[in-house]
Amino acid sequence: MPGNISESAKVLVKLIEQLPEERIKHLVSFKDIQLKRFRPVAGISNSDEPAPKKPTLAEIKDIINRTKSPLGLQNDVLKKIAQATPKETFTVDSIDQQIKSLKALCENKYKTYYDVGNKLYRPAGNPNYYQRLLDELDGKRKENIFTAFRTVVFGK
Amino acid sequence: MSLQYKLLFSRTTNRYSTFQALSRTVCRSKTYYSTQKLNNDTKNSPEDLVKNSELKSKPLDFTNNAPVKAGKESQVILSTSNYENPNYQLPKWKEALGEFVVKTFRLDMDKIRAGPIAGSHYYGLCKVQGLQYEDKKLSPSALFFYEDLKLPRTFSQWFQITILHEWLLFVRMRAMPFKYGHNYQQKLVDRTFIDIERRLVDEMNVNSGRIIDQYLKDFNSQLRGAVFAYDEGFATDDITLAEALWRNLFGGRKNIDMVHLEAMVRYVRSQLYVLSKTSDRDFGLGKFNFVPPDEVVYKLTPQQESELKDKTIKKYEALDRDPHTLPSERSNLSYKN
Repeated sequence: MPGNISESAKVLVKLIEQLPEERIKHLVSFKDIQLKRFRPVAGISNSDEPAPKKPTLAEIKDIINRTKSPLGLQNDVLKKIAQATPKETFTVDSIDQQIKSLKALCENKYKTYYDVGNKLYRPAGNPNYYQRLLDELDGKRKENIFTAFRTVVFGK
Repeated sequence: MSLQYKLLFSRTTNRYSTFQALSRTVCRSKTYYSTQKLNNDTKNSPEDLVKNSELKSKPLDFTNNAPVKAGKESQVILSTSNYENPNYQLPKWKEALGEFVVKTFRLDMDKIRAGPIAGSHYYGLCKVQGLQYEDKKLSPSALFFYEDLKLPRTFSQWFQITILHEWLLFVRMRAMPFKYGHNYQQKLVDRTFIDIERRLVDEMNVNSGRIIDQYLKDFNSQLRGAVFAYDEGFATDDITLAEALWRNLFGGRKNIDMVHLEAMVRYVRSQLYVLSKTSDRDFGLGKFNFVPPDEVVYKLTPQQESELKDKTIKKYEALDRDPHTLPSERSNLSYKN
């Protein structure tokens, strides 16, 4: 049922698109990578980047003939690389399960269920720890050289 | 599984705190199910969640170029020192001398205890969660991480699993009085890097001091990054925590199974819940153990919670009042929170 898979995948892609942006830039972005992964399943092209030009078979043969290593790879190595490249087969069930899990995460299911209260959110030893961290991330109040120095000397 | 390995396992499982004893009974007794109105989802342990995943994802790496081999010193979890052997009995005269010194100089036992509890006991707990050797059987928790979550069986993966568990403890240590909590954190981190240095030589056959230093610096920046990312996730929401786990524990792989992420978020949050219900005294004395991934943590009802608190208060009040309590067993940490 390929039609159904793409329908489910579309729901999943929509859900991933709604994920909040990261507060600071990381080497890899969960949202971008997962969008790239599921868009083809949903039949949507990854529009934001141009599709890489695929080399023709003649070109590949030419490269392998011309070079011995490292491009002219041994057959068994090529096979291993092909095996390692994740080739995924989705079913409607598996995608629905992905949607369910992602929804649970977006709804803060576990944060609300396992509520730890102010004992851990405003820890006695350093009550402003998380607030300072989040303020810095959101750009509300930047740390300056004095506050940084205070943290180094006094530890909080 | 070596003898020492077994000993540590049996010792740590016996050390379940009263909370965990209670939460286990909660799991078993059926009467609580109805009062808590749990839906089907919350009955699943993280391991059940992962095992029910329809997406049969495969491990990412096809060849393991750096398997961890047991070295000369890996027969023991912590060290060959007698003081870290759970079966070692201190000679009576040494014990008496120690108690005398503690009493006469009024030493702050909570400060002293940071070394043996955080640097040794808690480090051991964090270490065994993901400990694996190529030719040895995996422990139950390691089975969850390597077989169920399909993580690669490498040294750096072990490090990621270890720092995740250390971070869980850091969160609780921050809630202790600052001078003690900070000391506990310091001891835990110190011990981690001492042990990594030893393992790199002993198990990974890295003989160059310069390369070891490079690795240690690399691990240090990984630790800082992971603690920051997990803190952010902990303080904000589940999806941020999941992203932090994906970047660190799962190495940012593309073919991640969301069910695995959900299971790990559940794992982390449930451990933190148990930690939040543990009193400073219990935690400071090392009476905490991670809940295994195949067990479910149910929320305590207000009645159970007060029962638990009363029990802890009674226990430590009696201990503090008892004139026979040894000076080294005394503590100023609160047992009321």
